[in-house]
Amino acid sequence: MGKVTLRLENMGNFIETLIRGLMLGSVYALVGMGLTLVWGVVGIVNIAHGEFVMLGAYFAFWSFSLLHLNPLLSVVLAIPVFFFSGTVIHKRVTERLTKAPELSALILTFGMSILIWNLAQFFWTNTYRSVPYLTGNFPFFGLVFAKSKTLSFFLALSITAALFVFLKYSKMGKGIRATSQNPEVALVCGINTMKMRAVTFGMGIALAGAAGAIVSLQWVIFPQMGASYVSKAFAIVVLGGLGNIQGALAGGLIIGVLESLVTQYWSAKMAQIIPSVTLLLILLFRPTGLFKR
Amino acid sequence: MGVALLMIFLISIPFYATDYWITLLVQILIFTVYASGWNLFSGLTGYTNFGLAWFIGVSGYASSLLIADYQWHWLFAWPIGALFISIISIGVGVILLRIKGVYFAISMVALTEGTRELFGTEYLEPLTHGGKGVPFVAGISLATLYWSVLLLAFLTILICYKITSSKFGLRLIAIREDEQAAETLGIHTTRAKIIAFVLSAFLTGLAGAIHFTYQNYIDPSFGFTIHLTLTPIVMTLFGGVGTVFGPAIGATLFTFIHEILWAELTLLYMAIFGGILILLILFFPQGVLGWMKEKGILPKIRKI
Amino acid sequence: MNQQPLLSVEDVVKKFGEVAALDHCSFDIEKGSITGLIGPNGAGKTTLFNLITGVLQPDSGHVFFKGEEITGKKPYEIARKGIGRTYQIIRIFPKMTLLENLIVVGKGRERKVMEKAIELLHLVRLIEKKDHYASDLSFGQQKLLSLAQVLMLDAELILLDEPAAGINPTLQNELMALIHQLNEAGKTFIIVEHDMSVIMNHCQNAIALNYGQKIAEGNCRLILEDESLLEHYFGR
Repeated sequence: MGKVTLRLENMGNFIETLIRGLMLGSVYALVGMGLTLVWGVVGIVNIAHGEFVMLGAYFAFWSFSLLHLNPLLSVVLAIPVFFFSGTVIHKRVTERLTKAPELSALILTFGMSILIWNLAQFFWTNTYRSVPYLTGNFPFFGLVFAKSKTLSFFLALSITAALFVFLKYSKMGKGIRATSQNPEVALVCGINTMKMRAVTFGMGIALAGAAGAIVSLQWVIFPQMGASYVSKAFAIVVLGGLGNIQGALAGGLIIGVLESLVTQYWSAKMAQIIPSVTLLLILLFRPTGLFKR
Repeated sequence: MGVALLMIFLISIPFYATDYWITLLVQILIFTVYASGWNLFSGLTGYTNFGLAWFIGVSGYASSLLIADYQWHWLFAWPIGALFISIISIGVGVILLRIKGVYFAISMVALTEGTRELFGTEYLEPLTHGGKGVPFVAGISLATLYWSVLLLAFLTILICYKITSSKFGLRLIAIREDEQAAETLGIHTTRAKIIAFVLSAFLTGLAGAIHFTYQNYIDPSFGFTIHLTLTPIVMTLFGGVGTVFGPAIGATLFTFIHEILWAELTLLYMAIFGGILILLILFFPQGVLGWMKEKGILPKIRKI
Repeated sequence: MNQQPLLSVEDVVKKFGEVAALDHCSFDIEKGSITGLIGPNGAGKTTLFNLITGVLQPDSGHVFFKGEEITGKKPYEIARKGIGRTYQIIRIFPKMTLLENLIVVGKGRERKVMEKAIELLHLVRLIEKKDHYASDLSFGQQKLLSLAQVLMLDAELILLDEPAAGINPTLQNELMALIHQLNEAGKTFIIVEHDMSVIMNHCQNAIALNYGQKIAEGNCRLILEDESLLEHYFGR
């Protein structure tokens, strides 16, 4: 009898861990989808992508502590703000890279990453910050979940759904997909590919910023936090296949669940190795990603 | 003649210069080797190695541990560290050099990050001291260290010079220009890439071993820091990618800029560094030597 | 003539997804011949070159060179056995000088390689530019350089992908004269070309491909006089 309850408890624990992983993964997926979108359509590997997650988190933090803005509103606001910033950055800087060798884009965005997080460190110091909103847990069929993480999960899923609808049904979304598949043909068909690239870059940054604002609800915020997100995003992109949005969603969930399981049943330190190991294994054995396009 | 005079001058420095200047030169020379080592592989083949810190860290760890835990003399610990990373690099090269373009760059970052995390875990702690790091004293004087790294930098540039003007070097450039065409012209591209990769690992690794002996300390975040990859790349870009002396010129200029910026603007130093990187790529992608070639200061044709 | 063919392609199949770029294609190439490879766009000509040179691997079938199977061999191994090729889009090494472009291909002693490179630059009349970067050359000159690279390889069989396309008639004549000269010296050629007059005037045999299948093979003139083939080719 005792054994059965123990097993049930284990089972409950396992399911809890799994769901926590999915919640975590939904946020990772946002970051990953942004990266894969920019990489696939604009052809730029944005190493500074994680920095925009950090900026998104600070955006929510400052809105909350200075303007007392509801963090949920910050998430919604982050999307246009980061979208606009992204298009400006693309117009001013990264657009010049579309014909340059890959190495140039890599190094430039590398420089951008260093510039951004060091400026953040300079202005906002290394103090760990957090947004105390919706703290506490709630029970659910005998399992326990954090309120903030559950909310994050639904926010992330809504943004993902909106992204899918936009790409599938809107005229611009179709233009973006066409540009991603064959820029020359898209151009001949009257699609302004340059504009599509700018919009896509903005969307990628908006996804990162929104993800950052969501992250602020559940974890601490500090200037160097971008690095861990960008390494996860790269693993997600490679897992899902370059430029494959659905693949990135699946990849994000997989990485989240893996991280959650390894943290729970092995060690938090080993969980940090997951993105690197996943990335190397996929590149070696399934370089086109896990999924067929 | 000019080279001989320069060498005599450089060799004589410890006899009259202050420790500050010797230290500065040690840094310049170490980074000259890093930058040249990076350039030797990435500058010639076009395969961006974002894992230079991996070469440096693994070799640095191997030699530091030999000195700290096994009481080896530095003179033996250094080459063993470099040989160690070279041998591992053969395996890694065979596996990872099949991956092309950006993917190769990312996989090297992943390898570096993964190794860094691994060296800090409890599983490797008996060997690597985990996250606590390895403090040690090698009992080498600053002058001796300086001469060692001077010799290494000299040999590295010599090797780079020999390679760039050899058929092997041309094969590496052909890989950068068009790998598939090179292959259908009978060039064994995989072998050439692996040889260059391992040679780069050996030279960089040797400099890494000296670097951490000079610092008397290594730990995972210090030994595998992204700066050890980034700084040499910036230096090479600044001097001129794929050239023999570009990396050395870049290393010298940048170390001085670093000294000035660091003293004046400690907190903003890294941010400025990032900004310079962006500006370099946007406005000065060909480096000092490439710019001189474009302006006609250096000839546009090349004789062999 | 019971001689072994220089190159045998046997029942080669290559699919990209569902589409068969080459569909059970077989033919032999005799030593010392110049063969034209014709067919509409997408007929599988370039794919065929890629399969022979090891850039792509066939899904099934075999390729033999001088009686030895070369299917599955690496491109550099096949190149060293004596098959050279040029590409439809020129693929020289732009940031290397002309001389370097040739030396990098050469095997053996440094002096010998250098002498041979100089000799070939004389042959393609680019010797004055030997220390210039290849990116400084005109389109037609780059084509000549790319041919010189293949000759540097000492290839016995040379595959040319549209050698005459996009260059002026004078240079085109020079190029074709060079090919004949090399042919007389014992080199074998397979030429992909859209310009039928080039095929007519310069090739002894032709192989016609359509939808990845060999639809005709034999004497050039006979093939080009074949009505049904012309229909295929010109879509009339």
